[in-house]
Amino acid sequence: MSGAAHGASHPGRAVHGDGPVIELGSVPSLGASQRRGLAGSAAAAATRRRDVAADALDGTTLLAQGLTTDPDRLTAYQHLVGAPAQDRLPAGFVHVLAFPLANALMVRDGFPLPLLGLVHLANEVTQQRPVVLGEEVDVAVHAERLTAHHRGVSVDVVAEVGVAGEPVWRGVSTYLAKGYRLDGATADRAERPEWHAPQPTGAWRLEADLGRRYAAVSGDRNPIHTSTLAAKAFGFPRTIAHGMYTAARALAHLDEPDAFTWRAEFAAPIVLPSTVSVRAGTDGPARVLDAWAKRHQLHVTVTPRG
Amino acid sequence: MAGSRRPVVVGGNRTPFARAGGAYAHVSNLDLLTAALDGLVARFGLAGERLGEVAAGAVLKHTRDFNLTREAVLGSALSNETPAYDVQMACATGMETIASIADKIRLGRLDVGVAGGVDSASDAPIVVTEQLRAALLDLNRAKTVQAKLAAVAKIRPSHLAPVAPDVAEPRTGLSMGEHQALTTAAWGISREEQDELALASHQRLAAAYDAGFFDDLVTPYRRLVRDANLRPDTSMEKLGALAPVFGKRLDTPATMTAGNSTPLTDGASTVLLADQSWAAERGLPALAEVVDLEAGAVDFVHGKDGLLLAPVHAVPRLLARHGMSLADFEIVEIHEAFAATVLATLKAWEDPDFCRDRLGRDGPLGSIDRARLNVHGSSLAAGHPFAATGGRIVATAAKELASRGSGARGLVSVCAAGGQGVVAILEAV
Amino acid sequence: MSDTYLELVNSGFTAELAKRLGLPRPARLRRFRAGDQLVPGPVLVLADGAAGADADALAATLLDRDLDVRRRPDGDHRWGAVVVVLTGVTGPADLSGPALDLAGVLKKLAHGARVVTVSRAAAEATDPAAAAARQGVDGLLRSLAKELRGGATGNGLVLADGTAVTSPSALGALEFLLSAKSAFVDGQLLTVQGTGGHPPADPDRPLDGQVALVTGAARGIGAAIARTLARDGARLLLVDVPAAGDGLAAVANETRGTALQLDLTSPDAPQRLVEHVRSRFGHLDVVVHNAGITRDKLLANMTPDRWDSVLAVNVIAPLRVTEALLDAGVLGEAPRVVCLASTSGIAGNRGQTNYAASKAGVIGMVRAQAPVLASAGGTVNAVAPGFIETEMTARIPALTRQVARRLNSLQQGGLPTDVAEAIAFLASPQAGGISGQVLRVCGQNMVGA
Repeated sequence: MSGAAHGASHPGRAVHGDGPVIELGSVPSLGASQRRGLAGSAAAAATRRRDVAADALDGTTLLAQGLTTDPDRLTAYQHLVGAPAQDRLPAGFVHVLAFPLANALMVRDGFPLPLLGLVHLANEVTQQRPVVLGEEVDVAVHAERLTAHHRGVSVDVVAEVGVAGEPVWRGVSTYLAKGYRLDGATADRAERPEWHAPQPTGAWRLEADLGRRYAAVSGDRNPIHTSTLAAKAFGFPRTIAHGMYTAARALAHLDEPDAFTWRAEFAAPIVLPSTVSVRAGTDGPARVLDAWAKRHQLHVTVTPRG
Repeated sequence: MAGSRRPVVVGGNRTPFARAGGAYAHVSNLDLLTAALDGLVARFGLAGERLGEVAAGAVLKHTRDFNLTREAVLGSALSNETPAYDVQMACATGMETIASIADKIRLGRLDVGVAGGVDSASDAPIVVTEQLRAALLDLNRAKTVQAKLAAVAKIRPSHLAPVAPDVAEPRTGLSMGEHQALTTAAWGISREEQDELALASHQRLAAAYDAGFFDDLVTPYRRLVRDANLRPDTSMEKLGALAPVFGKRLDTPATMTAGNSTPLTDGASTVLLADQSWAAERGLPALAEVVDLEAGAVDFVHGKDGLLLAPVHAVPRLLARHGMSLADFEIVEIHEAFAATVLATLKAWEDPDFCRDRLGRDGPLGSIDRARLNVHGSSLAAGHPFAATGGRIVATAAKELASRGSGARGLVSVCAAGGQGVVAILEAV
Repeated sequence: MSDTYLELVNSGFTAELAKRLGLPRPARLRRFRAGDQLVPGPVLVLADGAAGADADALAATLLDRDLDVRRRPDGDHRWGAVVVVLTGVTGPADLSGPALDLAGVLKKLAHGARVVTVSRAAAEATDPAAAAARQGVDGLLRSLAKELRGGATGNGLVLADGTAVTSPSALGALEFLLSAKSAFVDGQLLTVQGTGGHPPADPDRPLDGQVALVTGAARGIGAAIARTLARDGARLLLVDVPAAGDGLAAVANETRGTALQLDLTSPDAPQRLVEHVRSRFGHLDVVVHNAGITRDKLLANMTPDRWDSVLAVNVIAPLRVTEALLDAGVLGEAPRVVCLASTSGIAGNRGQTNYAASKAGVIGMVRAQAPVLASAGGTVNAVAPGFIETEMTARIPALTRQVARRLNSLQQGGLPTDVAEAIAFLASPQAGGISGQVLRVCGQNMVGA
């Protein structure tokens, strides 16, 4: 199976198309791009360019083809998030496959926000069918929707995944750069209804080394998850759990369907270690999970389709 | 041919149940199961005999005990030519072994068999951390010195700490007690009701011991003659003085204490099952027929039902299959995982809305007179060595039914971890 | 329970030391092992002048057992046994000949040899001279037993008038007394007063197919009884209190028997036992009332619970159980009931008023029950152990225990198996002519244990 053969029909091309498509010969090293992101963020902090133009996104798409999955890595991921070790890739694992591209996109010179310190606000994945171990996948990543937020500027990083030209997975990660302003404007704080803790149906014990363990299987070594010192530098008392770990664990908890929309809202960071209460239930056709300790931290919905 | 076969309970034997870390702190699951089996063999004069099968199991089990039941047979007075196998269905393990052996007898595949179970919280396996396990596997696979060093280098001091077994539900992270606390709150079960049930359990078990009821059901072991958890002199005052241990994170008052919850327990039980004619040929008793069993499971993961309420659903199905109602039973045995488990089960069956919405019935399933419920006490007083509880209850119920005369029926309900449960109908022969 | 002293003085250097110091040197007793000869050398049969025919008849039956039997004390032998037939004595002077013949061979007895007198019951003699001669045998035998060394024993068989020396029970008793099974029976006279009983079909399994109840079977003497009866072919129903259930189960499984946990002193126990026998076995052929307890205290310090519990277990329970079994009609065609008495019940023992009362009570009970059992075709007897090495006697203070062990002709304690062998004999089909008797298994000891 040659990855290049499928490139021309990649689903990502039809969707955006307002900027250059850069095909990467190999998947970028996350370590290198994260180090670069660190340097870029330092440069951004030094120049204090905190205003972002509404048209600052250049529409670039990064494309990588013929990505494969290492079975041992898949198993480690599945065990860590509590998913069955099936040959069906969890939707969260597809996110992990696409993440190096998203990361590479965000450290490019033209990307208007700093990688380090970005806060993952929400993540929404729509899956048409599961990717199966052994299938080669093509990934296209672009950014869109720079939006004013009451605490800064948010952006959607969109990853689209196909198998042999068939679109199977689309993920939208919404990140917030705190303290930035979009064309000098700020947004009002959105009204959030007051949240009351329901009766739990379970509890998650999240160990102190969870950040390092998820970093090992996901490749996301953002130091706020792995280093107490770095976490303190960004204002957290200790390391915090990866949002995508908690979202993936919720997805496994809710029994991942084949075709579905999976939305996670990261209401507040979860400091490690901690035990959080969870409630799993349903809301119409959707399966819903909330997690909280003192305050609401995570809201996940999984809506099966068809 | 098969239609004429009737699997009957010939009798039972168990060790007295000890509190974890007590009299059996240094004996293993294998020791306990062998002792229970040997007592059964002695009671029915089966030394040296080849039985059809022995089925048993343990919930907390060492990997070295992969063939626990067969090893117990080899160590027992039974013929070494008796086949044996392990079964595991959490706290319903004992019930499931009874189902398995009884079904095979009814089918004609066996004439006689032993069902049983054992658990020892004192003999629970201690495991290594996942990281150490992975590193050791890599080390084992490594071919070169460098690869071996690399594998060893991955081991951190924190990986070396042993991991005690977790009795929490893997899918929810809640312990069984925390789960029951949710059910207790949902059904609004009071502290007083729970303590009353616990008190009755202790008083009835103590009275049964004093009357010699357990003379042919229990064989002493390691100088323990009665269940160590039994408190014949407990009272509402003493039970009322205990501090709650579960449900403290909820916004409703916490009502579940060490007194109205079962403690971690060590012990083993066995039940001798045979075709009625096999027993008759040997002059052995036929206490009660194992009429039928039904397994149930609930979706507790998403909060649809309480973890321990599977029997609430399984019993109506079993009754419907036999055209029976709760009024058809002289005695009812509901495993007292927690006092509130029993009370929630009773309330669910009495609740018209629940019975309509969840059980699809026109009206309530019915209520159970407390005089018929757990007549010789149950797990709150005796303790609950998970896999051993089914055998304890079935042997006790069968003997009680036999004393009430032919046709007397008993209903047995045992809930289990994983949101499961197995229920059974027994009928005096 | 091992007797360290006995082991020491019989081994190597310490044996030599003990000999030079003049310490008592108890012999290792000859005990039963399957396949061994009945006696460890030729059998000499002596007789008084008028007992020739009886002696010939006995010699013939012994010859049938492939034994080397001699009628004259000639030759250089280590005699395995001497049988002295004194059934013909009519006056004290008649004892002289056989007594002096016996004297001539006493120094030529093998280790573990046997001397057995066979005589008639003095009480049945109307002639004073005959009675004197018959009673004289008693004194002769008891004194001789105290002279014998090297594990040899002396016992007497006393036959009622009309009971032939070759009657089944006489031959059975003679064989028992000659054999290693009677190792710790010494200085005793056993009366055979009936012609009942019959030799077993299989001498190695005299109780084949019979159902035997043993109470107190979880340990000690009870466990030994179970093993011995199982060896003899019996199907066992073993009873002990629920608290001893683990030991009971082990013994039951070892002997392929069944265990019944039952406190025989509880009010409904006899009925529960009867129901159990009826449903599980149909009937009982052998009943061994072995269960017994001690709660020693000087009478001055006696408490009601100590007194009552000992009487309840040791004598009241056997009384009620035998009665219930008889009433229920669950005893077989030729039932054998054997009870455990004690030398304390015969000679008394300081600090054991309760125990001795119960055990003397057993002796009285056995005597009175003999006619009742006879009408049911059976027998009832008691065995009175002396100092037996068991868990129970292990609780006796060490020094007292050492003294008690030596205060008998064999200078040692007996073993549980010694008691069991006596019981197995009395339970056998051949012992049908023996009833209402007390057989002491005490090494000729008059101190209770």
